[in-house]
Amino acid sequence: MNSTQRRITYSLILLLGLAWTYISADKTGSSTAGQIPAPQRGFLAPDFELKTLRGETLKLSNLRGQAVLLNLWATWCPPCRAEMPAIEKVYKDYKDQGFVVLAVNMTYQDTFANIAPFVDEYGLTFPILLDETGMVGPLYQLRSLPSSFFIDRDGIIREVVIGGPMAEALLRTRVEEILK
Amino acid sequence: MIETFRSLFAPPRHFILLIAALWVGLSLAEKRSERHGACKEQLNNLTFYALIAYVAGGRLLFALSNLSAFEQSPLSIFSPNPDLFDPSGGLVAALLTALIYGQRQKLQFWGTLDALTPLFAILAIGLHLAHLAAGTAFGSPTTLPWGIDLWNATRHPAQLYELLASLLILGWLWFRKSDSPPGLLFLTFAALTAGARLLLEAFRGDSTLVFGGLRVAQIAAWLTLAVVFFVSETIRQQRKEN
Repeated sequence: MNSTQRRITYSLILLLGLAWTYISADKTGSSTAGQIPAPQRGFLAPDFELKTLRGETLKLSNLRGQAVLLNLWATWCPPCRAEMPAIEKVYKDYKDQGFVVLAVNMTYQDTFANIAPFVDEYGLTFPILLDETGMVGPLYQLRSLPSSFFIDRDGIIREVVIGGPMAEALLRTRVEEILK
Repeated sequence: MIETFRSLFAPPRHFILLIAALWVGLSLAEKRSERHGACKEQLNNLTFYALIAYVAGGRLLFALSNLSAFEQSPLSIFSPNPDLFDPSGGLVAALLTALIYGQRQKLQFWGTLDALTPLFAILAIGLHLAHLAAGTAFGSPTTLPWGIDLWNATRHPAQLYELLASLLILGWLWFRKSDSPPGLLFLTFAALTAGARLLLEAFRGDSTLVFGGLRVAQIAAWLTLAVVFFVSETIRQQRKEN
């Protein structure tokens, strides 16, 4: 291919590229903004209703208007234990700005008798929810513990952190983002 | 099969795929290094220093852009948590380090990039595999029979499209005749990768949109393609004049 043929080919490719960019534009907006519930960034947080350790019932969708950290954990999980003090500290610092922590214990994989002593040991003041039937794990496609979902005031998941322990600075940056 | 793969390499295990890609890519780059006038040891050092700069630079820039969070917990800077990271900052740090190392060692710019091209091609494959495992970079909803169930919808297997494109690009680059001037191997890889992105971004369900729905990644890929064509033509002209 000589220089002229190459230049014509390049120009044709670029013109086709421009046409394809225009034709394939997403004029309806991003497909993830369709309010489909799924445990992924940009999607609506799947809703659930669970009992707390104190016996009250809490529904995730009732917390719209507040920024939520949904933390899935178990007492036997070392990184879950390691990140709890930082979560408690950050919760205390931001709760007045509308920040809520929902710590869902995977009770169906845990020993119920260990939960209350764990909460006392770490002095946790946020709600501890009990997933006794294994409803939330599959709903959030749980593959590793701990798993954390940062949900904004509109109920949209803004960040997912799989594994741990989360550093305090990471918690602060993510919480400040969902509080905006 | 996809579900088994996703379970096996679910986050944070998907990082294994990137590390494996780095290792395989570097081995392949070493194998062909002499063909491009590059020394194996220098190639290894360049990759090592760039990698260190990527990790340290990404963490440092993340800390600098979130200073208030780190002021309250300064030890978080040493946390093994990979989310405390600014990928674009890391990339800038890696590029700067590679440039400085290259200048000090008097490495040939285009020859070194050609030698590193297999590494870039394998890293692209590793990245698409990691996306498939994590369910990120997912496709838009579709009714086509090869759609996959992901995030509560049947979607284009966008990660598989991109994986297939990367495998074809690697195959083509690996088996092509190598009588082209220095730089053209890398530029061909860049053009093919940008072309694949331009084509396949249309099937993504997580594109960042501007100006009434245009996809940012497609605009960036088009600009990359234009620059690559211009530079390739300049190299060919220079070779002709010499």
